[in-house]
This record gives sequence, structure tokens and C-alpha cells, in this order.
Amino acid sequence: MTTVTENTDKPAKFVPGQPDMWAFVLFETLVFTAYFGFYLFYRTQNPELFLHSQAQLDLRIGVFNTLILLLSSWSVARCVQSARVGAYGPALKDAFLTAFFGLVFLCSKVFEWARQIQMGNGFGSNDFFTYYFFLTGIHFVHLLIGFVVLGVAIYQLRSPVRRSQELVETCATYWHTVDFLWVLIFALLYVVR
Amino acid sequence: MIKFNKRLLVVWLVLASFTLGYLWIDHSAEDHAGSLRSSAVVTSSVIVIALIKVRIIFREFMEVRQAPVLLCRLTDAWVLLIAVALLGSYFIGTAIR
Repeated sequence: MTTVTENTDKPAKFVPGQPDMWAFVLFETLVFTAYFGFYLFYRTQNPELFLHSQAQLDLRIGVFNTLILLLSSWSVARCVQSARVGAYGPALKDAFLTAFFGLVFLCSKVFEWARQIQMGNGFGSNDFFTYYFFLTGIHFVHLLIGFVVLGVAIYQLRSPVRRSQELVETCATYWHTVDFLWVLIFALLYVVR
Repeated sequence: MIKFNKRLLVVWLVLASFTLGYLWIDHSAEDHAGSLRSSAVVTSSVIVIALIKVRIIFREFMEVRQAPVLLCRLTDAWVLLIAVALLGSYFIGTAIR
């Protein structure tokens, strides 16, 4: 085995993106964990109410939304890898694809909210729907910020004078956070019993 | 031409399978009359599966696998912390109800 092959097999260790973004990601995760803890605790205090309210959510929409966000995470991961080897065309395409999946998620979420409100389930209807609208709403804000972040990545990738791999990785790290927070929210709101 | 990364595809397929697995869990959580009931087993399994998915996203999509040991340990500690907080809240809540 040649030295070159050995180097390919074992790439140097690196922190993806700026360490500040990782500090932010871990902090945000802690904040969301606190919300989730309160939600689970209050759920156990009134299980019947939570079960009956939860039954009004469509699990299939939740599964669809999760698969869409996972697709967006996959495409932003491909974007980072393409940019790393200098393939900026495919990287840009993947960044746009990520934004497209994000948009599909956004539309699906708005549709789901409208449907729930039409069914008479608003923010103040009961404890379950307060948590539902609060958790999905705050995640939605993170998603909107995600579009700005993707815009920064696209702006970086478009011009050779601006391209910064570290910034592209930082943007991707934020987008993945939006994804894994949804993975948790989906499990807790739609499937937990 | 950039080489297609099969590993990322496999990661997505695993994450998608776990997600679709929730449909089966949801179906089996219903009783014979089709109504919903509380279940600590379902809740624990759902939380553990979600955290496995989060760890896969950390390691594969977020490239923690190739990061220095400190970040690997830190993200693993975070996943454990979330597990303790969520399962703790659920079981403490159930116990004092």
C-alpha cells in the first residue's frame, strides 16, 4: 500500500465549519431538550388529553415532512463534499436542491397548521396543541433562518473570489441542526405514547 | 465529475427506514379496538430510535466521524444527555402522577 493510499484512507481530523457554530448548535439543542422535557412531563400528567389530541395529527404528514428534511440534509452534505473537492457547479446545484426541499417542508407545515386550525385546534385549544404549535413554530423560525444561511452558502459558492469552505461547512452544520431537531420534535409530537 | 458518494445514500436509507418504522410502531401501539393508549415501551423505543437517528446525523451528515475526538465525545455526551432528560422527564412524571 502506498503512502498516498494511506492518506486517502485516513484523512486528517478536522472540525467541520466554525467552532462557534458548534457551540451554538449544542446550546440550541440544550434549550430544545428543556422544552421536550417539559412537554413529556406534562404529557404524563394528563395522558388521555394528549393521546386524544395527538390522534388528530396525521402521522403520514409527519413522516413525509421528516423524509423531506432528511433529503435536504443529504443534499447539503453532498454540497459540502462537492465544494471540498472544488466541484462548485454540483455544490451549487445541491445547495439549491436543499432550499427546494426546505421549501416543500415549509409549505407542508403551513398546510398542516391550516388544517389543524380549520379542525378547531388552535394554540390555546389545550395543552397538547399549545406544545404542538410552540414546538413546530419555533422550529419553523429556525427553518426560516436556515434559508438565510443557505443564501449565504449560495452567495459564497457563486463567485471564485468569495468561496470559503469553512463558511459552507458552517452553513451546512446549521441546516443539519434544523433537521435533527425536527427528527426529535416529530418523534415526540406524533409517535410517543 | 465528482464521484457519487454511496455512503451518504446508505445513511439516508437507514434514516428513512427508521422514520418509516414509526408507522409500524404507531400501528402496533393501537389496541384491538383501534384506540390509542399510553405505553412506556412505545415511548422509550420512539425516543431511543430518534436519538439513534440524531447520532447518525451528527456522525455522518455533520461529519463528526472525521472530527477531532473532543467533538465526537461532546456530541455523544449530548445525545446521552438528551436521552436522560427525555426518559427522566417521562418516567418521573409517570411515577408522581
